[in-house]
Amino acid sequence: MNKIFGNPDRSLVAKLIIAIGVLMVIVSFIFWYAILQKQQQDIRSIAVKYGDSFLAFIKQSTHYSMLTLDSAKTQEAVEHLSSPDVIKEVNIYDHGGTIHFSSSEERISSTVVKTSLACTACHEDPEKSSALLNERMRWNVTKDPQGVSSLSLVSVIENEKDCYTARCHVHPQNQKIIGFIKADFSLGLLDVALHKQKEALSLYVAIFVIIVSLFVGFIIYTMITRPIRVLIAGMEKIAGGDLDHSVPITSGDEMGVLARSFNAMIKDLKEARDQREKWTQTLEEEVARKTEEIRKTHTSLVQTEKLASLGRMAAGVAHEINNPLTGVITFAHLLRDRFPDKSQEVDDLNVIIEQSERCSKIISNLLTFARATPSEKGSCDINEVLSRTVFMLKNQEKFHHIKFDVDMDEAQFIVFGDASQFQQIFLNMFINAADAMEKRGKITVATRRVKEKGKDFVEIEFSDEGCGIKEEDMSKLFEPFFTTKPIGKGTGLGLSVSHGIVKHFGGTLKVESTVGKGTSFFVRLPLSETHQ
Amino acid sequence: MKKILIIDDEQIIRTSCERTLAPKGYAVTSAASGAEGLALLEKEPFSVVLLDFKMPDMDGMEVLKKIQASSSSAKVIIITGYSNVDTAVRALRSGAYNYIEKPFTPDKILSAVKEAIDDLEEK
Ligand SMILES: Nc1ncnc2c1ncn2[C@@H]1O[C@H](COP(=O)(O)OP(=O)(O)O)[C@@H](O)[C@H]1O
Ligand SMILES: [Mg+2]
Repeated sequence: MNKIFGNPDRSLVAKLIIAIGVLMVIVSFIFWYAILQKQQQDIRSIAVKYGDSFLAFIKQSTHYSMLTLDSAKTQEAVEHLSSPDVIKEVNIYDHGGTIHFSSSEERISSTVVKTSLACTACHEDPEKSSALLNERMRWNVTKDPQGVSSLSLVSVIENEKDCYTARCHVHPQNQKIIGFIKADFSLGLLDVALHKQKEALSLYVAIFVIIVSLFVGFIIYTMITRPIRVLIAGMEKIAGGDLDHSVPITSGDEMGVLARSFNAMIKDLKEARDQREKWTQTLEEEVARKTEEIRKTHTSLVQTEKLASLGRMAAGVAHEINNPLTGVITFAHLLRDRFPDKSQEVDDLNVIIEQSERCSKIISNLLTFARATPSEKGSCDINEVLSRTVFMLKNQEKFHHIKFDVDMDEAQFIVFGDASQFQQIFLNMFINAADAMEKRGKITVATRRVKEKGKDFVEIEFSDEGCGIKEEDMSKLFEPFFTTKPIGKGTGLGLSVSHGIVKHFGGTLKVESTVGKGTSFFVRLPLSETHQ
Repeated sequence: MKKILIIDDEQIIRTSCERTLAPKGYAVTSAASGAEGLALLEKEPFSVVLLDFKMPDMDGMEVLKKIQASSSSAKVIIITGYSNVDTAVRALRSGAYNYIEKPFTPDKILSAVKEAIDDLEEK
């Protein structure tokens, strides 16, 4: 209840209860007043009736003594019949206002006040004229200073046959009114009773108003306030983002309908939110996908462009280098022919010839790669190519302080491709590793069979303990001319050419690296189908 | 003595050929450009012409066609700088006898020249 009346300004129920209470108070007051009024009226008319019969009784009691002109007896009867408690005073007076008999002896022979009920009962304005009222006001109620009310009643004593035929002949026959009899009754007892009733009635009304107000309040609270509170709590939860909340439906009335439509609204909201979230997510995914696509296209465009210019350059370089190379080869041959077989000179010249031929091969590889012309393709045994490369490198000065840890799978890995191109890839991997380790450390080489997307691949791993690759360089690694090595030492072509070759034969080239710890390259080449 | 003409803009190629062929009993003349080579061919007959396919003044193909058009019966061996089958095929179609890829070894030149001369003598 405190919740309701705590702040009437904000509580619907409080307002309703107050309004209903006020209405009840007003209506009850009107009833209360009407009932009391009516009761007072009824009591008065009863009092008047009794008063009338009392007056008639006095008239009768004094009838005989009047006729016999026995004033003493009449006076005695009047005195006798009045009682100070209830009948305060009885006066009998003539039309002129002179009191002939009175319960209070001292008033006999005095004249009634003209403005008193004695005269105003019949006359409109007794002081000025003798005009009669249309309706006689035979009685009135006055209150004495103590608050006790009293009823004054006037009755006419009419001239009768007995009166004008009586021996005394006091009253002529044409005289209509002989005199009046007026009595004052104390209504004190009635007042007390009425007052008590008033109190009781007030109490009943108050109790009634309170009970009805409480009842109405309770009904409103259970039927409106509580469900509304539940709804509000639900709304607050929803405003807080909890769309899984639902309001319990406890009735089939309008509140129930409201709760139901509220729940339906939440469901719609939730669906809308989920939908929106899904859209946002798909949108984000779509954007990410497109971005990636654009990035890839861009990189591959850049790559293609770079490779194209690389191709043009390679062609030019190849042409220029082939001429001096021809000279070297020719003159090495000519020189060799001048020395006896198996001499040291012949061996040395053979190295010159071999290395020159290697140069020419590298150049033609570059050309092949750049111009995508067919190379010498065939079935290559990867393990064999790899061991040959390692063997060749071990004798090189660059690799004198490098330990090779070779762990090759015993199986034969036959790959369709160009052996010299594969050798070129492996060579490049070893040279890069040696450079990264500053010619000191261990290179691990391993081959193994792996499955990718249902296809068989041979994976060749090259791991070193070198400086590692910085995160920001990772993306540029396979770009042509990307190098971190000093000018004249690195060309930045090794990985891009290797990548090109691997891709050309349907393989992949991956790298994992930790700065300061080392780098691993993984070359995957598809195994030739006939040798699987 | 068989006369061989070598047309190449590169000094080292000309020298290489001369030094390879001369000791084997061939009379070698060299020209540094297409125009010079064609002029020499007008003056005297050659058995074999070694022709570089890529020269600054004249395209090898053009020189080849002019030799075909002339009265010369010399066999033309193309020296190509590209490991390019296309170029070789085009040259052979235009009437070249054979082709050699750069960089070549003395043996290759010798065997190609010998083959050409044997072929010439058979006829
Ligand atoms: N094993 C490795 N360890 C550390 N860095 C490497 C390794 N392999 C390649 N890199 C980095 O990738 C760059 C590009 O390599 P590459 O394409 O082979 O060209 P180059 O060796 O001529 O620089 C290198 O300069 C080096 O920074
Ligand atoms: Mg490298």
